[in-house]
Amino acid sequence: MATREMSRRDILRIGALSALALTTMKLNRAEAKTVQGRMDSLVMGGKDVSPVTKKERKAIPTACWSCVTRCAAMGYVEDGRLMKVESNPNSIRTEGVMCSKGQSAPNEVYFPDRLLYPLKRVGPRGGGKWRRISWDEATDELAKRLKKLRDEGRPEKFFFHYGRMKGSSSKLIKSVFLKKVYGVGSYGNHTSICEGGKWTGQELTWGKHYDNWDMDNTRFVLNFGSNIFETHTNHIPVAHRLIRAMKERGVELVTFDVRLSNTAAKSTEWIPIRPGTDGAVALAMCHVIMKEGLYDREFFKFIKATKNHKASVDEKISSLKKHLSRFTPEWAEKESGVAASKIAALARKFAKTKPACVISYRGAVAHYNGAENERTIQMLAAITGNVDNPGGRCRGVGAKWKYPKPKYHVKARKLKIVDGPKKGPLHAKLPTHHVSQLVLRMIKDGSQGRPEIYLWYCYNPAYVNGENREYAEILKDEKLIPFTVTSNIVYDESSRLADMILPDATYLERWDWEDMVSPAQIPEYYIRQALVKPLGQSRDFADVVCEIANKMGLPMGFNSKEEFVRLSCEHTPKIKDLPGGGFEYMKTHGVWHDPKEKPHYYGYRKEVKEKDLKKKGVIFDEETGVYWNWKKSKAKSEEEAKKKGYRHTKKAYKGYVGQKIGDKVYKGFKPDKINKSGYFELYSDILEEKGFSPMPTYYPIPEHRRKAPDQLVLTTYKVAMHIHSRSTHRKWLAELFHDNPAWINPETASRLGIGDGDRIKVRSEVDEIVTKARVTDNIVPGIIAISYHVGRQESGRYASGRKSPFGRDDDIDLKFKWWNEYGVHPNWVIPNWVDPVSGQQRWMDTVVTVTKA
Amino acid sequence: MTEEKKGLTRKEFLKLAAVGAGVAAGSGLVAATEGLSAKGPVKWVMVIDLDRCIGCKACHVACKAEFDVRLGVFRSSVIDYEYGRYPDARRDFLPWLCNHCDNPPCVKVCPVEPVEAEFKGIKFTKKATYKRPDGPVLVDQQRCIGCGLCIMNCPYKVRFFDPAKKAGGNPAANPASKCDLCVHRLDAGLVPSCVNTCQGRARIVGNLNDLNSEVSKLMRGARVLLPEKGTKPQVYYIGEGAARINDALRKGIDIRIEANSEYQLKVWKNGPYAG
Ligand code: SF4
Ligand code: SF4
Ligand code: SF4
Repeated sequence: MATREMSRRDILRIGALSALALTTMKLNRAEAKTVQGRMDSLVMGGKDVSPVTKKERKAIPTACWSCVTRCAAMGYVEDGRLMKVESNPNSIRTEGVMCSKGQSAPNEVYFPDRLLYPLKRVGPRGGGKWRRISWDEATDELAKRLKKLRDEGRPEKFFFHYGRMKGSSSKLIKSVFLKKVYGVGSYGNHTSICEGGKWTGQELTWGKHYDNWDMDNTRFVLNFGSNIFETHTNHIPVAHRLIRAMKERGVELVTFDVRLSNTAAKSTEWIPIRPGTDGAVALAMCHVIMKEGLYDREFFKFIKATKNHKASVDEKISSLKKHLSRFTPEWAEKESGVAASKIAALARKFAKTKPACVISYRGAVAHYNGAENERTIQMLAAITGNVDNPGGRCRGVGAKWKYPKPKYHVKARKLKIVDGPKKGPLHAKLPTHHVSQLVLRMIKDGSQGRPEIYLWYCYNPAYVNGENREYAEILKDEKLIPFTVTSNIVYDESSRLADMILPDATYLERWDWEDMVSPAQIPEYYIRQALVKPLGQSRDFADVVCEIANKMGLPMGFNSKEEFVRLSCEHTPKIKDLPGGGFEYMKTHGVWHDPKEKPHYYGYRKEVKEKDLKKKGVIFDEETGVYWNWKKSKAKSEEEAKKKGYRHTKKAYKGYVGQKIGDKVYKGFKPDKINKSGYFELYSDILEEKGFSPMPTYYPIPEHRRKAPDQLVLTTYKVAMHIHSRSTHRKWLAELFHDNPAWINPETASRLGIGDGDRIKVRSEVDEIVTKARVTDNIVPGIIAISYHVGRQESGRYASGRKSPFGRDDDIDLKFKWWNEYGVHPNWVIPNWVDPVSGQQRWMDTVVTVTKA
Repeated sequence: MTEEKKGLTRKEFLKLAAVGAGVAAGSGLVAATEGLSAKGPVKWVMVIDLDRCIGCKACHVACKAEFDVRLGVFRSSVIDYEYGRYPDARRDFLPWLCNHCDNPPCVKVCPVEPVEAEFKGIKFTKKATYKRPDGPVLVDQQRCIGCGLCIMNCPYKVRFFDPAKKAGGNPAANPASKCDLCVHRLDAGLVPSCVNTCQGRARIVGNLNDLNSEVSKLMRGARVLLPEKGTKPQVYYIGEGAARINDALRKGIDIRIEANSEYQLKVWKNGPYAG
């Protein structure tokens, strides 16, 4: 390039105006990257100096845990105090960048209302009186209570409920301790209040859940209800790639949302849509694509679109065309409010721009029709060949750690309260990720038994579910649950209803290995190491579990999570052989990926080796064309397996080997949790058998059909500066966002006589809240949107104005806190109800009456 | 924080916006062609690509963490601009920080006696607030007397009294503070903390005196805030977002702005520094 050869003198002569002209040169991509990576030889991270002493600080690789994305990170410590956290510049997932939540890490450790001592309640449950106890007293009591249940042969009366538990924490606590050692096979999770319906929709189509969006290679992104720029399960890794794709390669992003989220705002186009109708629009797009012959014929080989798995590609195409014929853009316009012409144009663009990526999240799936909407969106990706391809919607790829498994031979027992009721309006037919929002309701109901010990971890059942009033009452009722325990860092709406509180270590004070999905389609191995010693007497709950196991006389072969992580590093292939040893390498570098590994695409096209079909136990199933190993299923004999067949043998999917298509056997789309075939299933025998449409369809939301004209639909959302229910105690985030007036369109507001800033009453069938109106053009008419995160009753002074028990006053910022409003929590008025397919909590469906308060 | 809470009317808020955000209808962001020089050894500037900024506010929090900035004040924030009627409603984001002006009014008004100083062999004079020869406008809190003249005279309203600190020149007062372009990091060969975390790679720092630097290459069509004030700001804004905000302001479109600090609003509205 010319400028490079110019001498200093030339430059000076050219002067200011010319300097401008010189910048018209376009950088090619490779160059742009180098420049961006170096910024004039300034370093982008991995090194740090104190602004006060100017001394260099030591970089300690670790991993964030603010949200489930779990970005690889670097921590900096001075005199034993955590000063800051940044991204790990060597991570192929984050590529060195971090969000506001991650940046607020020091607040997590030092917020003045943090729980720092084991506590036992004094007086009635929920009375707010506590006494400090020693760890010995706490673990003695727990070990004694747990041992009693186990000795009496009813370990399932211990019910463990977690909100987020991943990587080594999950393996140590759940897979090893609970299942193998203690012998309980039922525990609560929280996936159905997140996006469980999305996963069920994926399991029904392509098997094992999680879709990675390949932003580095895509040329067009169509977004159904994801707020990727503010929050996502793989937030930073995918979001920063999407911005880069948009800016550097001109990739367009089109977003359907009921609200102008920051994602919608930064999209090439925001298309407002009525809540719960994304599936109708996606169906109509499929209609246009099939009708106009814009589909990817080749991919149909791997699609199942008829009952008969042997159907030819032509038969499949005509079956799908026939099925889709009634879902016209005009029909979808009536449902969704999106113009038919827009739907058709976008369908054409999506099908013709190759590769293109369709993305989706809670806007599309936290509904009555959530799993079905996801199935339809999967169909849109499949018929255009945008599945598991560079630039499309890919199956997630993550690290595969090996971890120590002690030898215990207990058959885990279960308490049947995790999947909701067996019948009635709250029954879900395929709750593959359980129905966590109904666990407390099931306990109240009691017909499936009740736990005697309820322990929750990284979970706040009285806040995160719907109908908060009722759930707090259940938790408080000593007759329903005799003993309640939590491990937590913050005294929140549920901790106050515990009988015993175990102060947890924060993620900055503990060890883990992690495995979150890589946006590069190459697995990244990474660890979290403790940056500082746990504050006060706080302890990683996993370490507490190790101690309790020992006290019960059930040693697990390791005594702490750190040891568990070390052993995992020493057992995991490739990691164990890293220079200096796996554990040492990971402690020094934090991240590792195999430089020789190629991105994982098109795995379904691989043929199964002849010898794998001849392995012991592998049989062929005529009905589905699936080769499977019956020995891995629950079948007792080959005879029984053959008689029941693949589809009707319990856990047959665990033995899946391959799918016969024509005269070849392919790896196909491996099933998980349900016995689907190895095809990408657009025709689901499983759903058909359960009484649903076998092919993707549209289920209108019944309550929306019935609602009175002046009633509104309540939707909720998350913002960029908070983490679900888990961050309002962080002062830097609370300062940015602590109040949440309800968004309402000007037209709707004037119809209801509501002005900007008015106090309003929002009433649903289950409860009522009072909040303020924010009249804004950033939302479709006919709905009201109230953010999540705030409206706390506890969680300390920054979150609620309330001091927690044993809260400290040593944070200088308590003096400078300037806000006294804490918002309103919408979940009070949202029922705990289900998508009848998946059990997904219907966050976005509640019909409310809004009046001036 | 929303304006409701502050009890500000929309009109007042717009007035504040014009001052606080440094963008007034009819002026605002304009193409920056002046202030570029090819002289001097190093000249640190920041370029912010508004198309790449997604309003995540990681920069705001990273800056708070970098300096353990007290609640109520900040060295850098991000302003949300909302405008347009449904369904053509829009939101743009404007990262907001000290402009490290080449002709800084804050320095001019600082009453503290100038002293001779040297930076990498270059001699310059130094009041309590001063411009370092390589670009950053800095505050020497040891010499600051906490008079607030610089705070009052910054047209961008990015300065504040550091609430928990004592001014070296007058321990009864708080010293002035603001973004220092992370000179401790630049001096150690590191990008500023906000640049380091920015997921959009919207914030880019570099040497404007190096024509091959990324900032130099991005300078085409760059705009600055309130050029008519003659401050020669050295924070440049690029991208269509910059043009859009400017356009909306020129057309006098009703704009809703969210700020995040009561302190800042107080300074704007009631303080001796208003307007
Ligand atoms: S970190 Fe970057 S993308 Fe995020 S708000 Fe700041 S400038 Fe914008
Ligand atoms: S932005 Fe304000 S504080 Fe910064 S140099 Fe300019 S006038 Fe001074
Ligand atoms: S350059 Fe440093 S001081 Fe200035 S805004 Fe960025 S992080 Fe804050």
